This record gives sequence, C-alpha cells and structure tokens, in this order.
Amino acid sequence: MNYAKQTAPYVRKENSTKRMMVDVLIALLPVVVFAIYQFGWDAVVRLVLSAVIFILGEVVTTFYRTKPHPSVKERKEKFKVRFKTLTINNITAPLVSAIIYALIIPSNLSLYVVAVGALFGILVVKAAFGGLGSNIFNPAAAGRVFIGLSFTSQFAYTGIDAVVGATPLGAAKDALLNIPNLLQNYTVLDLFLGNIPGSMGEISALLIIIGGIYLFARRAADFRVTLSTLVSFSVMMAIAAIAVNGNVVDIVVYQLLAGGLLFGAVFMVTDPVTSPVTKPGRWIYGLLVGSIVAFIRLFGSYPEGVVFAILLANIFVPLIDYYKWSKNRYSVKFIVGYVVALALLGFIVLVGLGGLN
Amino acid sequence: MIEKTRHIPDGKKERKNQPVSHYLEAEYLYFPTTDLRCPAGESCVIDGQYVKVGELIGTRHGGFFDQPIHSTVSGYVVGFEKKVHSSGQTVDCLIVKNDKKYVLHESCVSRTDEEIAALTKEDYIQIIKDSGLSGLGGSGFPTYVKLETKNKIDVIVANGVECEPHLISDYKLILERAHRIIEGLTYAMRAQGAKRGVVAVKKKYPELYEVLENARHSFMDFDIEIKRVGNHYPQGWEIETIKAATGIQVPVGKMPSEYGVCVFNVATLYGFYRAVKRRMPITERFVTISGNGIKTERNFSVRIGTPVRDLIEMCGGYTENDKNKVVICGGPMMGTNLQSDDLIVTKTVTSLIVLDEEPIKTEPCIHCASCVYSCPVDLQPVQIMNAYKERDKDALAVLNVNKCIECGLCSFTCPSKIHLTETMRQAKRFIRK
Repeated sequence: MNYAKQTAPYVRKENSTKRMMVDVLIALLPVVVFAIYQFGWDAVVRLVLSAVIFILGEVVTTFYRTKPHPSVKERKEKFKVRFKTLTINNITAPLVSAIIYALIIPSNLSLYVVAVGALFGILVVKAAFGGLGSNIFNPAAAGRVFIGLSFTSQFAYTGIDAVVGATPLGAAKDALLNIPNLLQNYTVLDLFLGNIPGSMGEISALLIIIGGIYLFARRAADFRVTLSTLVSFSVMMAIAAIAVNGNVVDIVVYQLLAGGLLFGAVFMVTDPVTSPVTKPGRWIYGLLVGSIVAFIRLFGSYPEGVVFAILLANIFVPLIDYYKWSKNRYSVKFIVGYVVALALLGFIVLVGLGGLN
Repeated sequence: MIEKTRHIPDGKKERKNQPVSHYLEAEYLYFPTTDLRCPAGESCVIDGQYVKVGELIGTRHGGFFDQPIHSTVSGYVVGFEKKVHSSGQTVDCLIVKNDKKYVLHESCVSRTDEEIAALTKEDYIQIIKDSGLSGLGGSGFPTYVKLETKNKIDVIVANGVECEPHLISDYKLILERAHRIIEGLTYAMRAQGAKRGVVAVKKKYPELYEVLENARHSFMDFDIEIKRVGNHYPQGWEIETIKAATGIQVPVGKMPSEYGVCVFNVATLYGFYRAVKRRMPITERFVTISGNGIKTERNFSVRIGTPVRDLIEMCGGYTENDKNKVVICGGPMMGTNLQSDDLIVTKTVTSLIVLDEEPIKTEPCIHCASCVYSCPVDLQPVQIMNAYKERDKDALAVLNVNKCIECGLCSFTCPSKIHLTETMRQAKRFIRK
C-alpha cells in the first residue's frame, strides 16, 4: 500500500463545469426547438454550421496550444499527449456559444456570413485569448457584432416592415409613441409567444423565461446579472415613456419582450467567464448592460443593441473586479452608488428625450 | 454551481448509530514529549519506573507555556521511540508498557463541593495548568493561557457544534457525559467570573439538546442556556459559533475575550470537570476510524497514547485494491494528511480517515464565483489565486489572504475542481517571505 500525498480538503462537491454547460444546453433546448419549428431547415443548417465551426475551432486550437514536453519527440506520442488534454468541456462550452450565436442571427443570413462570424468568435475572441475561461469578451456576441458591422448589407430582413429592422424594435427610436400602433400589428401575446419576425432565438419570450427558470433553479447561472439588467432597462424605459408622455406600462412591456433583450439577459450576460466575480460587481455589470441597451434603443439605430451592450460591459469587468475595491459584501456605499447611477442615467434619458421641455 | 455552499454531506447519520468500542487492551502506550506547539520537552521518569494513571511523567515546553504530560495507564516506562504526531511530524515518544490494571495515582482524589466553592481564579488557573488541559476542539492551545486573560468575560460559550464531516466524538461525548460537561461549564464560569453560559449544539440533533437541557436543570444557580444553532459548515468555527450562540460579532483577527466572550470546546469543559472535581487529567477520548479505504468503520473510546495501528487492525485493516490510500488525521475538510499510519492518539486526535485516492482532474477557472459566494470570511479566492499567479504581494495583502481560515470550502465548491485552499496556503507563505 502506498500513501497518497494530498492537502485538505479531501472531499469535493458533486458538481462540475460540464454539468453547468449541459444545464445551459438544456435550458436552450426549448428555444432551439421553437426556432426549428418556426424556420425549418434554415434554422437547422445555421445551427449545425455554427456548432461545427465552434467545436472544430475550439478542439483544433486547444490541441495545438498544448505543448508536449521536449522529451516527447515522436509524432504519434505528441498526438497522444495533446489528445489527452482534450476534455468534454472542449465540446460543451463551444457548443453553448455556437447555439447562442446561431440564435441571435436572422434565419435567412447567408451561410458564408454565418461561417465568418463563427470563425471570428471562436478563433479571435476565444482561442486567441487562451480558450475556456480566459476570454474577456462573449464569443457569440463578438461574432454577431463582427458580421453585423462588416456585412451590413447582408442583413436584409425579408417579410418585415422596413421600419421594423432586425426585430420590431428598429422602429422604436423615433416612435416610442408609435408603440400602441405597433401593438395593433403584434399584440403583447404575440410578442410573448414568439409570433413575430426576428432573429431565430429571440422571439419567444415564454420559452426564454422557461429556460431561464431552469438555469436559475439549477444554479447554472447567476440571477443577479439578469435581474439587474432587466431592472435597470425597465427603469430607463419607464423614464423614457414619461419623458414622451407615453403609456408607461405599454412601452416597458413592449421593450422588454421585443428584440433580443430577454434572450441576452438570460443566456448571454449570465456567461460566468465574462462576468465579474462578486455579488455587487454582478449587479453593476447588469446595470451597465441594461442601461447601454436602453441607450442604444432610445438614441441609436443599431438593431444589435444587446450584443453591443454586452461587449461594452465586458470591457468594464476587469475594472469592476479590480482588487482595491471589489468586495463581496453589499455595502451602503454600493447601494447608494447603484441607485445614484441609475437615477443619473435616467436623468440623461429624460433630458435626451426632451422630458424637461 | 453558482451559489453559497454551506452544507457538506457529512456521513454522521450512519456513524452516530454505530456503537462505541471501549478499547483498553493496548500493549504499549506512547506519549509525545514534543509537538507542534512545544518544540522541547523532557520526561521526569526513568526506564523501568512504575507509573500509575494520572501520574506526571514529563513536561513539554512551548514558547511561553509548559504542558505537563500524564500517564493514562499504569505500567512500566520502557524507553523512547519515534512516532507520528497528529500534526504529521515525527516526534519522540515516551513508552509505557501497560499492565492493564489501571491503578489510579494517589493524587487523584475528588474535591468536595466545599473545597471547590473556596477556589479562587488563581487556583483554577493552577489546577488547569497542572492538568495539562488544552483546546480539545483541535487547536491544542493550552487552556490556562485563555483563563489568564485580563479582559472581563461575560459569557462562556461551549462549542458542541463539531461541523466537520465524519467526526462524532463531541456528539458521543455530549450524549454520554452531558451532566459533567455542564458541571465543567459551571467551573469555567466560576474561574472567569462569567455570568452566562451558552452551550451551542446543532439544530439537527434534538437528542443532544434534550440531554443537555436535562443536565442543565441540576445547575439552576447558574444562567446556562442550551442554544440550537445552524447545521451548516463552518458553524463550529469560533467566530460563527459566537455569532450564532450569543449574537456578538467578533471581527476576524480579534480575540473573542476582547468582546467579553470565551469559547471552549465541550471536550475541554469535560476536562475542566475532570481537573477540578476529580483532580485527573483527560485520559480517554473518542476516536472514529472511517473512510472507504478501511474495511469496517468503527468508533472507539481509547486511552490517550494508544497507537492507531491497533485500532486499524481491529477495523479489519485496509481495503485491498491497487489504489493509493489517503490517510487523514482529523476531518476531511481541514485534517492533516499523514504519510504513515504510525499515529499516536493524542488529546486532539478526533478521527482517522482512510480514503482511496481518486484522481481529481482540474479544469480551467470559469469565474463562476462559487468560491467567492461560499467563503465564510468574505474573501475572493479566485482573485487571490490570480494575484498569486502574478506573485503580486500588494494585491494579496489588499485581498486579505491572511484572514483565510483554511476551512476548505473554496476547493470543495469549485466546479472546475481547482485546489484553491492550497493556493491560499501558498499565497500566505509567499507574502510572509
């Protein structure tokens, strides 16, 4: 009998990164099924294509990132050493990114563009930063923004009113007041069930909420980011509605349900790799995402508001996590700061929409 | 998963129902003359001398205190041998050959109630010092030093929480000796001039609450309360126990005595009873042998000084497979890994756990922050790990790595199986340089 050398603690919890990733996949399943039901083969092809690219990209880069010991000379041996470093997470993690990526693009986007975005996401945004756990930007969001900016002309949304844009939100900029009219075309129930045009995964609020509940119940995602995003976004939109003397409830509900906000808030901002690591930090992160989305929707014209917001907020994560002020306790300072920031941003919205005139 | 981990599967339910075997048959008993706290020591007996139970056979010298060593059996002194101490060190041990008669030493006569009533604080300190009592919760810190505090103590907390998984020695002790523990608590209260006493036990053990509550009724002159506290880990950590039992929040790094609180383990209070009432040192303790590397798991009540190998033999030895064995003295969260099973039962040995070694495959950190959420001292293990990788002393100091109590929760909860607790230890060593 030999004595093993270990240090305390000697027992570990029954959980794993793999389980976390698989939970996200399960949560995504209803949305995926609905996308396939709505868009048929278009959806299947794009889902499969991005999955193949993401997984292949991850596996190949991980494979060659491993440097076998110099004593290992033979090709076959090197291959074996490298092969051993691959784990199930090299499949599940990119698969999550791939499905999210495929769900935030329109169903009729050309396959060439889909492939370019996927390659950018996995190779530049994830692999170049060091693979799983080291990327600072959300690969799916970055891939989506990359193609959104470089292949703008490809994003021709057929079958939708030109005003509406990517999702029925393109119209919202100068037409917050127009929302009651829009609601005549698409009722709140349609928005809720997904009976609207838009990107593949973003359209059914109901299924996204179901997936979200599963995620939070399994603790595979942190509800704080999602909640903070939705709360700050709703506050901005409510203030905007007041500024233009619109119907507050109508506008807030419409803005919450339409577009990619809900999908992004449940599946994208909760990505732990690109989130801060403290509870207050996650609230601040959510506040950033929520308010940037609101600002882009109110004052900008990009239909990719949510992915932009996520990428912009990703930049602030190292700052939020800076060791000199990151604390895991809710302090009075934090609560006051959060409320003041929310109020200030709200004030900017109010002024920007001419609420003071 | 992304949540605060507080509960650890503890296996106590199975273990506490197992009977306790009283083992008095050890041929030779070993008494370490040095240990982690006491680098020097001497014996005051010669080879071949006959010693009795409770007789002084040596002294260990620490930096600012001495600890007497008492024999726990009667028999002949037969020399010295090197054995493993619970801290993992190999130490010199005085050997006594057991004649299995268990003759009591002449000095071990009970004090009458009148004698006890006349004792002053100084007397108590002297009695405890002579009995060699030390923190039996695991610290091994000499108890009389705690008593010597200049601060005014208002409340004494008896810690019967024992939150480490697998351990049931305090549980069994309370069940069998509740009355004496409460009596010991009254002595501790008298010694410190404390008005209140609180016994903290876990909520999930109503049987402990009942025996203690019954015992309490015999000491109605004293303000003693039995408090049922949470079941989570690390509830038995001094500061959490104080918080749960009395509501007083002691900041990490401060002495509880500055806040008028003094904490003793229930086993230490039993030691108070023995020392004050019986004029006897602690001679026996409960030891659990458990883990999947051992054939049958058993509980023992043994004399201090018993070699653990005897107990392993009684458990049927190790399971036979080709796996390496992880031998742990103490609990699975904070215990010490031993490189030999040649261990001696000292006052602070609560259990021996033998596990089959399972390879733990580490994945990259995904910043899920489970470690941050779970840390009982509000540290950020993941940030400390990153700062340590950069060898950033300033960041490590600002992140308060020295506050870490090494409870093991960060490693336990990590979904990527990263050994954060070990990183904390390395980081602590690093900034001390």
